[in-house]
Amino acid sequence: MISREWLLTDQPGSRRQARYGQAFRTWLSLRSNRLAMVGFWIIAALIGIAIFAPWIAPYDPVVGGDLRLDRLIGPSWDHLMGTDDQARDIFSRVVYGARLTLLVVALVAVIATPIGLAVGTTAGYFGGWVDVVLMRITDIFLAFPRLILALAFASALGPGIENAIIAIAITSWPPYARLARAETLTIRETDYINAIRLQGASSPRIIWGHVVPLCLSSVIVRVTLDMAGIILTAAGLGFLGLGAQPPQPEWGAMIAAGRRFIIDFWWVATMPGIAIFIVSLGFNLLGDGLRDALDPKGRK
Amino acid sequence: MTDLLTVEDLRITYPTRQGPSEVVRGVSFALGRERLGIVGESGSGKSQTGRALLGLTPAPGIATARRLEFDGIDLRQASPATWRALRGIRISMVMQDPKYSLNPVMTIGRQIVEAYRTQKGGAKTAARDRAMAMLEAVQIRDPSRVFNAYPHELSGGMGQRAMLAMMLITEPDLLIADEPTSALDVTVQLEVLAILDRLVADRGMGLIFISHDLRLVSTFCDRVLVMYAGRIVEEVKASDLANARHPYTQGLYTCLPRIEGSQRPLQTLQRDASWAL
Amino acid sequence: MNLIEISNLDVTFGSFANTVAAVRDVSFNVAAGEAFGIVGESGSGKSTVLRAICGLAPVTGGTIRIDGQPLKTPRDAGFYRRVQMVFQDPYASLHPRHTVDRVLAEPLAIHGFANAETRIEQALADVGLGHGFRFRYPHQLSGGQRQRVAIARALILEPKILLLDEPTSALDASIQAEVLNLLDRLRSERGLTYILVSHDLAVVAHMCERLLVMQHGRTVEELTRAELQGRRAQQPYTRALLVASQGYVGQTPTLEKA
Repeated sequence: MISREWLLTDQPGSRRQARYGQAFRTWLSLRSNRLAMVGFWIIAALIGIAIFAPWIAPYDPVVGGDLRLDRLIGPSWDHLMGTDDQARDIFSRVVYGARLTLLVVALVAVIATPIGLAVGTTAGYFGGWVDVVLMRITDIFLAFPRLILALAFASALGPGIENAIIAIAITSWPPYARLARAETLTIRETDYINAIRLQGASSPRIIWGHVVPLCLSSVIVRVTLDMAGIILTAAGLGFLGLGAQPPQPEWGAMIAAGRRFIIDFWWVATMPGIAIFIVSLGFNLLGDGLRDALDPKGRK
Repeated sequence: MTDLLTVEDLRITYPTRQGPSEVVRGVSFALGRERLGIVGESGSGKSQTGRALLGLTPAPGIATARRLEFDGIDLRQASPATWRALRGIRISMVMQDPKYSLNPVMTIGRQIVEAYRTQKGGAKTAARDRAMAMLEAVQIRDPSRVFNAYPHELSGGMGQRAMLAMMLITEPDLLIADEPTSALDVTVQLEVLAILDRLVADRGMGLIFISHDLRLVSTFCDRVLVMYAGRIVEEVKASDLANARHPYTQGLYTCLPRIEGSQRPLQTLQRDASWAL
Repeated sequence: MNLIEISNLDVTFGSFANTVAAVRDVSFNVAAGEAFGIVGESGSGKSTVLRAICGLAPVTGGTIRIDGQPLKTPRDAGFYRRVQMVFQDPYASLHPRHTVDRVLAEPLAIHGFANAETRIEQALADVGLGHGFRFRYPHQLSGGQRQRVAIARALILEPKILLLDEPTSALDASIQAEVLNLLDRLRSERGLTYILVSHDLAVVAHMCERLLVMQHGRTVEELTRAELQGRRAQQPYTRALLVASQGYVGQTPTLEKA
């Protein structure tokens, strides 16, 4: 039975209870931060919309209506966000676009975070030439503006949403590696790392079991804060025609398609723009809140 | 002799998730021009008491008192301007670690001169001379080197002396020293204490010496307040500490190992719930 | 028979022009079952000696033998099962994200010990912590409790030698007494050999049969407990330490600084 008392006890009786209790305390601390909760609910709504898109969207996102009657209608009760030049309901497309956005965000996080952590902690823990080699590689990636580099990778791999994700992932790990390395440099000098060394632990065991969990929270915070940028990069690639291909309802591609008639039919480009703005804001607020909640020093 | 400082029923409260928690619970004492020791273990509220006297209770803590008077000035209603005229000028504070109390990007000399001139004004050269004299007074052998040094270039003992010089150049009436020697080696510790001792004797300064080290306090101070769980459980003459009445004081005293040989196993402190009431 | 033999130990940090000799020409022997103390002020190199023994500081000269065998660099798994260390600051020596259970299970897993479950429970009981502490995080423990966990961690591999680096200097006096008693009891129960580093002469006099006084990385003198208690120190530095340990004595004692 999971109750509040069970979670907050000072004397957990099992590994599971200790872990859940710790997670619950983090959640309580996050919950007391109002702005972070706004961010949390925005992201939760994004996930909900992505899952239930077929039930929420009133029209098909790809196949439009009658091209003669339904093109470029302004926002109304029939079409909440209007329709575009292919007579497709923009609201439905924005709803389905949540799926693509979430896919980009999730895949980039899953690919880039482990690479960054692995490179950064390894470089920081071993130091010496390992550090020099790994960090110079990281510097090379950091030397190019992210969108330009992603653009190069995306055009080399060919257009398409999958390639765009890979290109973004490849370009977004270096900052995480830097961050993880900086954290590792202080962690490796501490007595708890000395202690585990004196227990005879191997280097991979120390890095994976003892260093990474401590770097993880700051990297997670950084990834969350970067999500806004990742969404914008994906949108940028989509806008330049290297991301999602028509007729996929990707928000960046939708803005690109709408820019031709932004003066006369403003809603075509503006609606997906607002969606990008809100989701970016949500990730930023959540990331800020997580930074406070995950800081082990700040918690009692 | 009139009292320099009077504290009556000082309470410090922190709000927590479980409701307000009192870390200092009704502390009262009076201080003349003497050396008063406050002893207690971590969490006893001794440092909180020291900070509250300077109005430096860290947020979100709230300090209240029935009476808090320094030389006839009611500190409870002190305005920011009054505090500015008191802190660092008539009441100074020395903390445990000089590393955190000195400005790392300013030379020692400039910090001392600045402390002096904000209070007394006057010409730079005069202030400089005063600073050098002060550095000599705290037993720094090479004052001109220390004057031009940055805090990180000094050893712990030197840094603490420089800190003392800065705190004492304004000739305060009251010095609150919170574990001023705990970060120092034993041999250096005694030299710093000797400087404090002389200042009390020569200038008639009042000194509140906050420490966890019962042996040090008992040999250095005139009077000792023993704190436990936010209260003063006993006040004793320092020389009588070995004959203290309260079981907590006795326990603190007997649990220390002695060079001459101590019983084995060492006596441990059996805490009684009634002490905290 | 000496269990630990250290002869002419040098430890130098840094390289080329920028070297710092932390320990210079230090020699001492420790018999099996003995408690040996190293006393000194900050910068005396006393902790560096311990770190050199367990491989955390580089041995740049001299030899360290245990059971007559010179130590290998890097130390092997067998070394870690015989020699363990307790660090000074219990707030810094426990991983902030690991429960007590994880802290104790880790060494058992590394060395492939069977029945971890019973060993962890036993180790906690040995240091006077009950089952209720097993799944707590370090931030849910007091300083004394943390140090008990650190001692349990060091003892769970059943070593013969325990290196103690100021194990009580971060603790309150009453907690210090409890931890010292615990260390004393564990030594007599298990026949452990201790090397205890401390700045506090009284702690060393209480715990150790013999001690070494160090200053500026060098040996000042070696004393027995009886010599210390009888204040029969030969060197002025040791005598100054003895005077200082009595507390404040009125005027500035004149100290000879080498």
